[in-house]
Amino acid sequence: MIIGLGFGAIAAISCQESRSESPPQTTILRVANWEGPSVDAGFLLQERSLREEFERRHPGVRIKIENIPGEGQYVPKLLMMFVAKRAPDVLQLDASYASVFIDNDLLLDMTPIIESDTSFELDRYFRNVVDVARRGDALYAIPLDFTPLVLFYNKRLFDEANIPYPNRDWTCDEFLEVARALTIDPPGDASKKQYGLYFRNLMSLWVPWIWANGGSVLSPDGQHAEGYFNSEQSITAIRFLTDMITQSHVAPSDSEAAAAGVDLFQVGRAAMNVAGHWMIIDYRTANVDFGVTMLPSNTGRPRTVIYESGLAINRETKQQTLAWEYVKFMTSAEVQKIRVSSGLAISAQKDVAEYYASDEQEQTFLEAVEYASGPRGARVEPYAVIEDLGREVVENIVNGMPVRAAINQAAQLMERELSQQ
Amino acid sequence: MTQGRPKSIAGYLFVGPAMLYLGVFTVLPMVVAAYLSFHHWHLLKPDHPFVGLDNYRRLLDDPYFVNAIQNTIAFTALSVPVGMAVALAAAVLLNRSIPGIRLFRTVFYIPSVCSQVALSMIWIWVTLPNAGFFNWLIGGLNACLGTSFSTDVNFLTRFPMISVVLLFIWNGLGPRMVIFLAGLQNIPESLYEAARVDGATGWQRFRHITMPLLAPTTFFILVTTTIAALQIFTPIYVMTQGGPNRATDVVVFHIYKEAWHKFHIGQASAMSYVLFSIIMVISLLQFWVMKRRSDSIAEAV
Repeated sequence: MIIGLGFGAIAAISCQESRSESPPQTTILRVANWEGPSVDAGFLLQERSLREEFERRHPGVRIKIENIPGEGQYVPKLLMMFVAKRAPDVLQLDASYASVFIDNDLLLDMTPIIESDTSFELDRYFRNVVDVARRGDALYAIPLDFTPLVLFYNKRLFDEANIPYPNRDWTCDEFLEVARALTIDPPGDASKKQYGLYFRNLMSLWVPWIWANGGSVLSPDGQHAEGYFNSEQSITAIRFLTDMITQSHVAPSDSEAAAAGVDLFQVGRAAMNVAGHWMIIDYRTANVDFGVTMLPSNTGRPRTVIYESGLAINRETKQQTLAWEYVKFMTSAEVQKIRVSSGLAISAQKDVAEYYASDEQEQTFLEAVEYASGPRGARVEPYAVIEDLGREVVENIVNGMPVRAAINQAAQLMERELSQQ
Repeated sequence: MTQGRPKSIAGYLFVGPAMLYLGVFTVLPMVVAAYLSFHHWHLLKPDHPFVGLDNYRRLLDDPYFVNAIQNTIAFTALSVPVGMAVALAAAVLLNRSIPGIRLFRTVFYIPSVCSQVALSMIWIWVTLPNAGFFNWLIGGLNACLGTSFSTDVNFLTRFPMISVVLLFIWNGLGPRMVIFLAGLQNIPESLYEAARVDGATGWQRFRHITMPLLAPTTFFILVTTTIAALQIFTPIYVMTQGGPNRATDVVVFHIYKEAWHKFHIGQASAMSYVLFSIIMVISLLQFWVMKRRSDSIAEAV
């Protein structure tokens, strides 16, 4: 699971937030996020100055940030805080796991507040991004920013191989042909191998390939996996993916990628990569001459997934008004302009997003929104477990298990997980 | 008998703190876990229906729980004998009076006073491809012998179980070694002298004097090390997260995921009881074998 927009921190050093005792009559607003030390220092400083601005506008208020960095740590820790009734007032909520918070009644329905607050206009936000946190009329989060997954390609490697840049209407077979042509394997030196695709086995990153072949992971109601994850379309898609690792060798296995120890796309040893907007920061810093386009599709229409993060309010907070003021401030156009200038993600405010969509690359991201669906984790509670099982399928196949058997076994286990809720 | 009451009160006061501790942190959790294991208990859901043995029945057709048990047993079978042999060898080496021996004993003990998390982080580095210590050793070997073994082996993904076993052996070396050392120092020197007079070789002295007289110590270490191995968690959590491909998914890690990632507290409690039973059976078996052996020795004497 992608915790937020690429904020998965590895080290777990607590942040600089813990200041000394606050004066007696200060109101403290606790805000949870997943930002950790791996996040760009400039971005963290910027976040702090935004907080200080909020504190300046609300005298007597102090924002206490509770960082929960570390891949896979944020959700379990936060949920335990809810179970113990010690949850923060405001929390950053990623669409990938929104369901477990929303559907267990942990969050405040913001609709009444929105209706009574004339200074707030929900129409300014992308509608399908807002709807990620909607249940009927109730709305449980205001979106900060988002990114669809797109295909990054290295222009220099395409030029060197004399291959035209990909056309956004391409099919999976056309993609494979390009990937083959871009795979260069000098004999005897594995460390010089160039891959067509930088594949990483995270289901959150490869799920669009299943959709692009007309398959799906779960039934539309999210209750079943049998007959969906192991449908012929899904099996073909997963076979296509794993064949790239085990048969045509145009993509590295996870252990091959890990052995390289670097982002293969960033160092120019992979010609293509499926990723979100957050990678732009790194790739620009590393001076990669890249283009972005849609993922290939066999259905005649591109498909992709959109990851979003927003701010939600603890249902049992004692600072409801203040929490809302904070959410409103952080999601406002004024603040969004500053936040997205780092290139991390696309603002959920339409005006701000379009203001930054100056170049062709940014335009592609915005266009991809049209073809994108939110992650199933926004609606399906045990989706993190489903994603884990999906990752294991690819691992099992790469390690020699027959494709169909691996998928059938996983579909059965997913079904079991869904029935256990 | 007039003094009986105050005396017993004093006695209770003395054992009180320990009893309280055991009650709150051992007995109570065990009772609660037993209760939970008979309920469908999701931490975030309001309903907790009684389901009888259903949680236990579900474990039987959970291939990943069976896999976790197999991994745990493999881990124990590898780490306990090797770990004990290494500790005994270290104890024998350190059981002599040469200058600086205390320093060596301290050095060998150091890993055991470090946090397991810190040790695991070091071990991740040790097993890294290229930059890691193991690959550095291979590189040195290549340089010395003119061989060309690969130095980009990712030990943690290629040999995950062995990597964790090695850490366990290293980490637990200290206490095991010290207990062996205490056992060794309790063996009267006169026995060795007598054997030497009779012309026994070093190995014979070890085999016929050291080993039998060390048996109670060995047994104690066997039981405690086995229990520790069956409950391995921290290095797995830090180094492998049960992977790759669940190759190091041991029971306690599996329970942790079930309880705190899936919030299936009832199911996780049932797993805990299964692990508890396994540890109980293995420990009883060890006691039984030990008793039979000491009985037969007693008979022989």
